Amino acid sequence: MKSREQEYKEIFIAEALEYYDALNRHISELEKDPNNDGLLAEIFRLLHNMKANAKAIGYIQISDLSHKLETAFELIRNKELAFTDETVTVLFDGIDLLGELINNVDNEGYQVADENIIRNLELVVENANEQENGGDKQKELSRSAKYINAKNITLSDLVYIQIKKLDHLLNLVGELIIDRDRILSISKELNHSDLAAVSAHLYRITEDLQYSVMDARLVTIGSLFNKFPRIVRDIAVAEKKDIHLEVSGQDIQIDRNILQIITDSLLHIMRNAISHGIEPADVREKVGKPKVGNITLSAQSDREMVQIKLRDDGKGIDLADVRRGIVQKGFLPADVVKDLRDSEALSYIFEPGFSLAKEITEFSGRGVGLDVVKNAIDSIGGRIRVDSEKGKGTTFTLHLPTSIAVKGALLFEVAENFYAIPLMHTDSVVAFETSELHEIGGLLVAEIKNETITVIYLNEFLNGDPGTMDLGSKSRLKGLVQNIIIVTYNNRKLGLIVDKLFRQQDIVVKPLNKPVDAIEIYGGVTLLGSGKVCLVLDVPAITRYFLTKK
Amino acid sequence: MKKRILIVDDSFYMRTMLKNMLTDAGYEVVGEAPNGQTALQMAKETNPDLVTLDVILPDNTGLDVLKGIKKDQPDMKVIIVSAVGQEVIVTEAMDHGALAYIVKPFSEDKVLEVVGNALKENA
Repeated sequence: MKSREQEYKEIFIAEALEYYDALNRHISELEKDPNNDGLLAEIFRLLHNMKANAKAIGYIQISDLSHKLETAFELIRNKELAFTDETVTVLFDGIDLLGELINNVDNEGYQVADENIIRNLELVVENANEQENGGDKQKELSRSAKYINAKNITLSDLVYIQIKKLDHLLNLVGELIIDRDRILSISKELNHSDLAAVSAHLYRITEDLQYSVMDARLVTIGSLFNKFPRIVRDIAVAEKKDIHLEVSGQDIQIDRNILQIITDSLLHIMRNAISHGIEPADVREKVGKPKVGNITLSAQSDREMVQIKLRDDGKGIDLADVRRGIVQKGFLPADVVKDLRDSEALSYIFEPGFSLAKEITEFSGRGVGLDVVKNAIDSIGGRIRVDSEKGKGTTFTLHLPTSIAVKGALLFEVAENFYAIPLMHTDSVVAFETSELHEIGGLLVAEIKNETITVIYLNEFLNGDPGTMDLGSKSRLKGLVQNIIIVTYNNRKLGLIVDKLFRQQDIVVKPLNKPVDAIEIYGGVTLLGSGKVCLVLDVPAITRYFLTKK
Repeated sequence: MKKRILIVDDSFYMRTMLKNMLTDAGYEVVGEAPNGQTALQMAKETNPDLVTLDVILPDNTGLDVLKGIKKDQPDMKVIIVSAVGQEVIVTEAMDHGALAYIVKPFSEDKVLEVVGNALKENA
């Protein structure tokens, strides 16, 4: 895990080595052109930065040596020290030693091989000063064990890379994986042992490559979480609230772009928690809570997912308010709302235009609703849920993929075509007897684990003629037993009847091209090893489609 | 709202440290300029509340950047970041409208104190 100290150190070394190379270059040029003021100014700038950076990070030997070199160059600039062969040697030795020190900052047992180099630098300066003051006590320079530079050229072992380049790399890996799966599939068909061996090797290598590229994009969640203590303090001051923030899980790693996308969302939820969740101190005291409000921000990683939780011990969300809001804002009629499960009702806070905030403050309620948060999380294939207990507090849980490239998906067949649903949205798979499905209100429903769930016959939905489409009639179903994939989105469940379940597989989702990209229910497309096209269903879109129907 | 800051320093290490300190403290770092020309361009484009300005820059002295900023955007607050031994330049910079200065190596507390004070003043 890369701590900030480690990061600083790597940056320091990379930059210092750059300076070291430039110093060598400039001094060589200066040797040929001793009166070049521009070169001298540049040498000063480099030594100056080296000194300041080393001092800041605590490498005293480096900052001292840079300082001594600076002093010597100061005399050269003021023409008090001639740029003679002897001086040049001393300066080069000094620069070489600087390089040695930089390369050995990690080496605890490192000892400066030849103290004479530093001594000589001091002597050059002393002698020049002596001469300037009219003295003639010139001291003899010591011989130094010269570093032979040509023997060991060292390049920095740290490179900086634009995230754009990593994005491109990841796209290429995605393409490669599709082709790899195709080759694997062909190799199975052909049953050729050499091809099988090569493709098995190819499989391992691409897998390794994929994880290496994904790994290169990982950053610690701490890079975002560590900004929160100060932000929370500022909002709390403005809102006149006392808040204690607890942060944990900073070391969990996540794709940099995913972290970027959720940054605003997390900030929004945090502002809500402080502005609307945590009660003022006097109110808290009255209800017997500690005066100081408690907010915890935590991250956990669970296989290929990262879970971020933001919990406050504030007043919680009043479900009666939410139910009233659903009716008032015209989402659902009152009689339907009273039958909604609590979790279902609560999920409406993520609908556009649904806001419970009564007052607008500087920090929250600026027209950005939780629907924006939800869209951001959806866009990266994540999930968000809210749990709240009136009087006790609210918890937002974000389930995020660690990487955006590859998704685990469930493959299935409908009318001999392949489809996939990201595992992120699948809840369970059940087999149900057709007789246990009920026809209610133009749709089929099933009683699954004590929940009434709307069930959609995908063949009819995807392939039926819009004029005669009937999703509410069991007569269209084939067979006595139906395979149902239960998907969840925003606390709402939907059952999808498929013809045949296929397998679970990692897929690379490609966006659909125009004009088919306008079809909302498909989130993208992938190619299977067999070369067959497989459409990826967009669970949020399908759920929304049936919700508006309701 | 978040105060917006432009960092001008030729050292990536220094810029990174300053940026981390300032963003951790809730400021928004709108840009990082490694030289004078970029600094002047960024100051115009991003119009920050405050500029932290290193006085020794590769193409230009920090002093020229300060003069350039003060000429076109006189209300922009500028803090000088310098090292020991540059007192002459710092004094001159203060004469040309810099609000305060920080001496390298700096502590986080010092940076936040000077930046906080500079942004508080209704200059």
